[in-house]
Amino acid sequence: MTSFGFALRRPAAIIGLSLLFLQIVLIIFAPAVSPYSPTEADPLASLLPPSSTHWLGTDISGMDILSRIIFATRINLLISITSVALAFVIGVPLGLLVGYYRGFLSGLIMRIFDFVQAFPIFVLGMALVSVMGQEIWNVATVLAVLFIPIFARLIRAEVLSLRERPFVAAARCSGATDVDIMFRHLLPNALMPAMVQVSISIGMAILLTAGLSFIGAGVRMPTPEWGLMVSSGAQQMILGVWWVSLFPGLAIVLAVLCFALLGDVVRDLMDPMKAQQFARDPEIDLQPIGDNR
Amino acid sequence: MRAPEEAMKPVLAVERLSVSFGTPHGETKVLRDVEFTLAPNEILGIVGETGAGKSVLARAIIDLLPKGGRMTSGEVRVNGKPVGKMTEAERRAMRGGQIALIGTNAKALLDPVETVGNQIVRVLQSHSRLNRKAAWTKAVQLLADVGIVNPEQRARAYPHELSGGMAQRVVIAMALVTEPKILLADDATLGLDATVSVQVLDMLVQRSRELGLSVVLITHDLGIIAHYCNRVAVMREGRVVELREVSEFLKQPEAVYSRELLAAAKVRPIPTLRSIGGSEMALLEVSNLVKIFPGNRPGQVVRAVDHVSFTIKRGETLALVGESGSGKTTVGQCLVRLIEASSGSIRFDGNDLLTTAQARFRPLRRRIQMVFQEPYVALNPRWRVRHLVDEPLRMLEKMSADERLKRVHQVLDLVNMPAHYAERFPHELTAGEQKRVGMARALVTEPDFVIFDEPTTALDIRVRGQIIDLVRDLQTRMKLSALFITHDLNSVRSLAHDVAVMNRGRIVEAGSMETVFSDPKDPYTAKLLSAELAIEHETEARVARRPKSAEERVG
Repeated sequence: MTSFGFALRRPAAIIGLSLLFLQIVLIIFAPAVSPYSPTEADPLASLLPPSSTHWLGTDISGMDILSRIIFATRINLLISITSVALAFVIGVPLGLLVGYYRGFLSGLIMRIFDFVQAFPIFVLGMALVSVMGQEIWNVATVLAVLFIPIFARLIRAEVLSLRERPFVAAARCSGATDVDIMFRHLLPNALMPAMVQVSISIGMAILLTAGLSFIGAGVRMPTPEWGLMVSSGAQQMILGVWWVSLFPGLAIVLAVLCFALLGDVVRDLMDPMKAQQFARDPEIDLQPIGDNR
Repeated sequence: MRAPEEAMKPVLAVERLSVSFGTPHGETKVLRDVEFTLAPNEILGIVGETGAGKSVLARAIIDLLPKGGRMTSGEVRVNGKPVGKMTEAERRAMRGGQIALIGTNAKALLDPVETVGNQIVRVLQSHSRLNRKAAWTKAVQLLADVGIVNPEQRARAYPHELSGGMAQRVVIAMALVTEPKILLADDATLGLDATVSVQVLDMLVQRSRELGLSVVLITHDLGIIAHYCNRVAVMREGRVVELREVSEFLKQPEAVYSRELLAAAKVRPIPTLRSIGGSEMALLEVSNLVKIFPGNRPGQVVRAVDHVSFTIKRGETLALVGESGSGKTTVGQCLVRLIEASSGSIRFDGNDLLTTAQARFRPLRRRIQMVFQEPYVALNPRWRVRHLVDEPLRMLEKMSADERLKRVHQVLDLVNMPAHYAERFPHELTAGEQKRVGMARALVTEPDFVIFDEPTTALDIRVRGQIIDLVRDLQTRMKLSALFITHDLNSVRSLAHDVAVMNRGRIVEAGSMETVFSDPKDPYTAKLLSAELAIEHETEARVARRPKSAEERVG
């Protein structure tokens, strides 16, 4: 049995991967699977409850909720994945440098991270989006700024402990330069937590995108976006019109859950030793009593 | 007065004991028909390599097998009573009450947030109705009994304030609280410095004699067997392959495996290379090397290396011996410039290493290589062996990929590793194989000078023997000059021409190996040598093997 096979046999992995597959299908085939246009208003069909014609009902403008949820998958995942990719590409090398060279500049960068992370996320989001405009790329940029310190810190923490390990000294004795040590020795060993974080961050990004839209700092109507849809239904909720907010809310829950579960799958696949353990017979490995090394 | 036959009745009998561990792919037999008895006052040594089942045996005796373990046949009798027939309460009373187990790494066994005195008091109070004050007095007495100086003061110490040897003494004191009849010591002195280890063992055996205990000493060190035990059981793959009196075992081991073990542990004649190097050409000349580290408090400094000087000629090997904290590893790190020396000079074949800029030093690296101490952590876990051995070549030599691959295979062959190992990852190798990969890395650039940092530590008897033989072979074949950094005096006898003894950053004595070892001038050297548990010369045991018999005591 391969390690890949093993990781996939766990129920959490199966659920996570199925949800991911579903989202990919919806993104690719959105026009084909959605029964109506996501942005076409029909004033005569305003606020219809779920029925056989509109499976999940319609919102106040008479737009079909199911179609909007399907199309919103594109926007939400586009924003989330872009922002996390951007944060990864900038945060990982930054963390590596800050962890390897410890000096004034490294300290300064860390304090900037403190500042960014201490700032209330939604205030920061509102400020940046109001300056730069309510475009999806701006939302992605805001989220990337928020995520860069997370990746940089994770990598830095790993590098700080890895750089003291004897194999780094051994590499230096073999003539490895700083660049060799950073990118060939430290980075591959430090990457695992960051890879797990990628998946978790995508989930967080989905939530934050929705949150920003909800408070009006995200994308604008009539763009189909889950957070915006929840917010547009919020006023009618007390009148018993539950479907406008509930279904996009559920979509957010499932998408976040999907990426949280995938984080665990990534962790199992990334660890060569753990993967080996799964693949091999578990050996009886008895340490002398009290030996905790 | 007890009848003599009653006195000879075994306190512990293990009869055809088999233990299996369940795995998803069936059962793995870990112990197979193990059989032995332990007489009153006897010290039985159990020796074997990793995976022989020694630790499982110790746990099976006290009926605390790890999860998945199952006794498939046989019986353990404590004072004639089968453990299998005891009630759960009786078994609990037997553990600790009649049999005490002492494990490795004492510091991990002690509660880090409680003073050691209080920990002993807690054990005392759970076993007897002493009030706190009386229990404390008793605890201090117990600490004094295990040879702790200033017991009153030490009782108030937390485990992290104690040295490894002292922590082990505390654990022994705790084990003796309940006045057990049998002591199981599972590699109790593993990881301690040799001088500390013999002190602890001396004390352990002495106390056992005074209290009339029987001891099972589990170890992988034949020296410990030779010097402390009455009888020895040699274990291999879950079987006892030989069970004999120690003196007979050392003279004439019966089993093939026992002979292999003894041969591996014996000292080999030093390679005679003196003439090859030619005249007085010094390859490496270290003079007045100093390394100062900042201390714990501001302004405080630690002189890790204090005016160290030595020279190594071509083809010769110098052993730098000393205990942990003596600064010997720091010297090695200064030589390859992993850390920068504070002052002094290091001349290597005419180049002053300390004044050369790092960039200009890089080409010299291919001529000076280092084999790191801990084999596993010194290898990047994500690289294959081929890649690991190739690294110094890629970095330091201008060679094509094909040439490099060829050289990698040559050097793997040189360290006796099969070619298909090139595709493995470090965690797929045994400790001995990892050590070989570390050596291959150091040798692949065909250096003139190699630093071996603790090449024989933490290896099994036969693997250690193989590594020593390999190094000897390399010394002869490659005409290698080497610096050995070690605390294993036995390996020095087989490998080094010259010896320098380090203590607290200074070289206290230096000279040819024969002179220093046969006629030590410095008291520290003498102390180190007295702690060496050699198996060659049939030495008198360090502590009387037999307690005085009843007649002798009367007479």
